[in-house]
Amino acid sequence: MSTTEAGYSLRRRLLFRTALLLVAVLLLLSIGAWRYARQAADYSYDRLLNSASLSIMEGLLVRNGRVDLDLPYAALEMMQLAPDDKVFYQVRNPQGEWITGYDDLPQPETFEPSEQPFFYDARYRGEPLRFVIQSKRLTEPAVSGWVQVTLGQTLNARRELMVDILYKALLALLGLMLLALAALWFGINRALDPLSLISRTLKQRSAGDTEPLAKTPIQEVSPLVDAINSYHRRLLDNLEAMKTFIADASHQIRTAQSATQAQLDIASQTNDPATLPQRLDNIRQQHLQLTRLTNQLLAHAMVVHRSDTQPLELIDIDALLKQLLTECVLDHAHRDIDFAYHCDLPNCRLPADRVSLREAVRNLLDNAVRYGPDDNQIDLQLVAAANGGVDIIVDDRGPGIPAHLRRQALQRFSRLATDGAGSGLGLTIVQSVAEAHGGDLFLETSPLGGLRARIALPGGST
Amino acid sequence: MRKRLHSLLLVLITLVAPAMADTDKGKPVLIYSATDLPAIRPVLEAFRTANPDLALEYREFNTMELHERIESLDDEGYPDLVISSAMDLQVRLVNDGFARPFDDPVLDELPAWANWRNEAFGFTYEPVVFVYNKAAFAGRPLPTTHEDLATALRSDGDFFQHRVGSYDVRSSGVGYLVATQDEVTSSLSGRLKESLGRAFTRVYCCTSQLLDAIADGDLVLGYNLLGSYALARAQRDPRLGVIVPEDYALVVSRVAFITKKAPNPRGAERFLRYLLSYQGQQVIADNGELIALHPRATGPYSITALTREQLPNFHPIVLGPALMVYLDQSKRRRFISEWQNALLYDPVAP
Repeated sequence: MSTTEAGYSLRRRLLFRTALLLVAVLLLLSIGAWRYARQAADYSYDRLLNSASLSIMEGLLVRNGRVDLDLPYAALEMMQLAPDDKVFYQVRNPQGEWITGYDDLPQPETFEPSEQPFFYDARYRGEPLRFVIQSKRLTEPAVSGWVQVTLGQTLNARRELMVDILYKALLALLGLMLLALAALWFGINRALDPLSLISRTLKQRSAGDTEPLAKTPIQEVSPLVDAINSYHRRLLDNLEAMKTFIADASHQIRTAQSATQAQLDIASQTNDPATLPQRLDNIRQQHLQLTRLTNQLLAHAMVVHRSDTQPLELIDIDALLKQLLTECVLDHAHRDIDFAYHCDLPNCRLPADRVSLREAVRNLLDNAVRYGPDDNQIDLQLVAAANGGVDIIVDDRGPGIPAHLRRQALQRFSRLATDGAGSGLGLTIVQSVAEAHGGDLFLETSPLGGLRARIALPGGST
Repeated sequence: MRKRLHSLLLVLITLVAPAMADTDKGKPVLIYSATDLPAIRPVLEAFRTANPDLALEYREFNTMELHERIESLDDEGYPDLVISSAMDLQVRLVNDGFARPFDDPVLDELPAWANWRNEAFGFTYEPVVFVYNKAAFAGRPLPTTHEDLATALRSDGDFFQHRVGSYDVRSSGVGYLVATQDEVTSSLSGRLKESLGRAFTRVYCCTSQLLDAIADGDLVLGYNLLGSYALARAQRDPRLGVIVPEDYALVVSRVAFITKKAPNPRGAERFLRYLLSYQGQQVIADNGELIALHPRATGPYSITALTREQLPNFHPIVLGPALMVYLDQSKRRRFISEWQNALLYDPVAP
């Protein structure tokens, strides 16, 4: 989601854009209506002109070898259907000589007489006019050829009709547009209704409400509801895991505390000074155990938190492992443990979280030290995996974990060791780190005879 | 008499205020009209009283002369207003672009048929009537329809012989208009024309001459006379009777238009507005000779008065291009020749 854009109303934006579109459509339609109105007006009055000219043609007669016209009254009466228009006419004989009417009407530039009426526009006596020429072939022996009736009319009625049609069409269009806008307003409100319903429902819920949102029949909205529900589900699951973890952790801490407390009580009540050093050592062991548990809990919390929040950055794994191993060797210098480091991929750089990864490998090394024999051999390796990834492997010569218990070993607070020295969190932390890096933790049998812990990381750029 | 009416009359309305020396404002409105001055004088004077700053100059023509005069004008010398009862000739002038449009609220009360393009306006309502000599018709049935008249002319030939009069369509514009409109309106006109011919109908140029002849008893009946003049004359002259035909009565309306090249168009508009307004129409309705067109005008010479006694079948002649049909050159030739053949049966007609 972009945060640089100022907030805006989806409803208003939708409405505005559709209205803009409607206005564009209205403009287009108006141009269409204007053209149509002009055509319709022309069509109507051309027909009138045509009929009247035909009617004039009816009055033609041939007498004594001459063409003459008895102008029918109906012809011009018909023209009065356009009551405010002037009328001009002219009749010419086959020789093209004027017979009657106006003798100076404008003629078209090119004209071939035919049975079809010929329409043209011209100006006459200061006014624009529409003319028609109606031709008729006479085939009488005395006169043969085309007689022509020219009839013209001013344009008032055409313009009036055009304006009338246009006005009504525009009015209808405008009404339609307003109606469409109203429907749109209603529709957009309806379409956005589920959104406000969902937000209202969410607002009214308490934080602990575990009920999912009610399914909606609206296809476009149900993905949103599903997404919200699935998100809600995951939150609840996380919350549940957190609760379990806290309960487990509290239980562990309390157990350790009450054990320490019990040892302290016994120590304070005993009268035998000879047993005191033994008691004190017990209390120290208990306290160490508690400290270790607390550290691991905090480390676990840290690892989980970092995996949620820290972005990965390219780090030199090789160097990191070397440093860790060095530290470990120094820590256990007083013991007879054989440490080895093997690296197939020197200067291997991967996107990783340095602190988490460090904690994870550190945990594996500590485990190897703790559960191994005194003359343990611990090998740390950085090798390429078959799937293109990178494996960080810790091998030891300790007792190992039987294959059927390996799954259990990865669970929180499960301790396979019977001495109760482990926190039950070490492998969990390693696994969390591996998962946070998109990899996994595998427990296998080491060629040294003990346990092989392998952190498989997906390959990155080296 | 005939000479008087044929000659151009220049009448400067005497009411022109001598003090009106202001050249532009005092520029008179020049009216060319085919209307007897006595008939139109009341409304001219009423306008002058109401508008003392605007002088009117009135010139009288007969209808044909007026038309020819306007058509023959160059760019100079145009009157401001042209008035004529020859509606067809007026329409032709408007069609040919001699008129200028006049749009005004005063037109709202005019009937649609009396307005063409807001350029030509009818302002009177003059039915076409039969006029008879009361003494001659004493004890005789009056023909109240065109059919009656046709029948009477045939069955009572002796009585009507040489004693029926009508307009000479060759020289009278309004005569030609009503004769042609008769042909358009009635299927009976051919028969009637023939009957009129058999009665040796005498033809005259003008209404006043016809009325004189009927009053004197030279004629017993006048056919197709302008009702405005006839009614006014009959009011004064008890010898005359007027019949508004019951089957149909054509109604002629005097048509005025402002010319395109009017030297004083504002003044012309003021006068035309007054002429068409209720006030002007009421003056016409009160004073006779003309009959007011305005539907609200009341008085002896209004539509209200015409329809008081009977409800005749009035056929107002509609202003529009159809009136130009009989002005067509060949149509006119043909109509006049037919008219002559039918009516002027007597080769030595007056």
